[in-house]
Amino acid sequence: MNPGANPPGRCLEVKGLHVHYGSIHALHGADLHVDRGEIVCVVGANGAGKSTLMWAIAGVLPLTGGSIALNGAPLPARAHEIVTLGVCLVPERRRLFTALSVRENLIMGAVRRTDRDGIALDMEKCFELYPVLKERIDQRSGTLSGGEQQMLAVSRALMGRPSVLLLDEPSLGLAPLVTDALFDTILRIRDEGVTVLLVEQNALLALDIGDRGYVLQTGEIIKSAPCAELAEDPLIRRAYLGEE
Amino acid sequence: MFLQTLVTGLSIGGIYALMAVGYSLIFSVLSFSNFAHGAVIMLGAYIGLALATKLHLGLGLVAAGSVVGAGILSVCNERVAYAALRRRRAPSLYLMISAMGCSVFLENMVYATIGSRFYAFPEFFGRRVVSVGGSTLSLLDLFAFAVSIGAILALHLFITRTKMGIAIRAGVNDMTMCSLMGVNTDRLIAVVFFLAGAFAGVAGVFLGIRYFVYPTMGWVTNKAYIAAVIGGLGSLPGALIGGLVLGVLETLVSTYVSSVLRDVFSFTMLIALLIWLPNGLMGHETEDKV
Repeated sequence: MNPGANPPGRCLEVKGLHVHYGSIHALHGADLHVDRGEIVCVVGANGAGKSTLMWAIAGVLPLTGGSIALNGAPLPARAHEIVTLGVCLVPERRRLFTALSVRENLIMGAVRRTDRDGIALDMEKCFELYPVLKERIDQRSGTLSGGEQQMLAVSRALMGRPSVLLLDEPSLGLAPLVTDALFDTILRIRDEGVTVLLVEQNALLALDIGDRGYVLQTGEIIKSAPCAELAEDPLIRRAYLGEE
Repeated sequence: MFLQTLVTGLSIGGIYALMAVGYSLIFSVLSFSNFAHGAVIMLGAYIGLALATKLHLGLGLVAAGSVVGAGILSVCNERVAYAALRRRRAPSLYLMISAMGCSVFLENMVYATIGSRFYAFPEFFGRRVVSVGGSTLSLLDLFAFAVSIGAILALHLFITRTKMGIAIRAGVNDMTMCSLMGVNTDRLIAVVFFLAGAFAGVAGVFLGIRYFVYPTMGWVTNKAYIAAVIGGLGSLPGALIGGLVLGVLETLVSTYVSSVLRDVFSFTMLIALLIWLPNGLMGHETEDKV
């Protein structure tokens, strides 16, 4: 890819993305982009390929076609190299290291960093954001409540000082109040300069905080528009917001 | 007499524990029984033997050489025999078959090149003994026990206190997420195999000193497997406790009942455990909220 062709402010650029799960063609030719400082939402039904998209960007699933570029340069092939560039994924169902303590999960979030002072500072910041994590610092993370686990999952990703945060179904299994608090946090994280790509089944919530949105259906992007516009679209309202 | 038997049992148990720890480490990371572990122990013993008889090194350097040598062999074993299967996400049965192949290959390599002769280590401890309250304890037994416990404690500190250790435990928990934290999992697995090999090297040297060095000496890892099951497969404290329990019980059986019944007893215990206590003494089913 020619780096000169990268529009200013373009952060993540996904072009013609194909991903196969064995013989299942999960994504066929998805195009999307995220500009620096944006919150971009991808909404869609179960099985539309939302999580596949996230795992592919994070480097866990191999691409069978198309390309993904970060700041104009193609992403490396392996997950641990992609994280080093500041692209961090908070996967669906959180995937904490359940046998490890809260502290150890946070240490893992910063495992590739070597600046001891910075790590300690960021851990304090996480505790300011979520004081409950400090109370439970030596507790095994598998014993936390669902909401606390989500707080830890977000904190763990922040410990890696991401420039792009990929959030996959963060509201899954959370109580409405907890979800509201979480979405406030996502806005705060963006205000601190982090670019956010958010995948949600709860379209109403996602479109409420996002800048632009994409609608993913059976492995294809069928619509792209500013979130406010998508939220008013009668088709979207019928399909994803449960309106008749 | 009893104290003497107990110390001998603890010393043999310590060696079992060293082997079981290596076994458990690999089992917990890749979820398969590494049947080539015995071959690495055997090769570690030969390396030690060569250093002791050809270069006339002292026990410290012999052990160090064996630790490094067996560690490197273990890493090579993973690179050659398991890495490709692992990347293709092959079922663990395939890894196990590959491990058996390695074990047979390495044993026969030694038969073909070094031969089937039994070799003995030079006497590092002579017949020196320590008298405690009327019983005579062999210095070799005490030393083997102390080194085994020390090595396992050091490993425990490593995996609970260092960043690499925490990353290994995180990988045991969820390897994909571990790579999403920025950990190169190929390197992580290499470190695990090096550690397992290093423990195999120590075990090989002690086995060689206590008994002999010969191509099939690695089969004693059957006992390490029993020890790991007693303690709970994949649990590090379990491997230690399991090894010591097995070593002491075996020695008691061969001293007070009959040495012929020793292995019958051990394997009966394995079967009984697998039926009634499959998680072992320290292994527990973890309860996690989804």
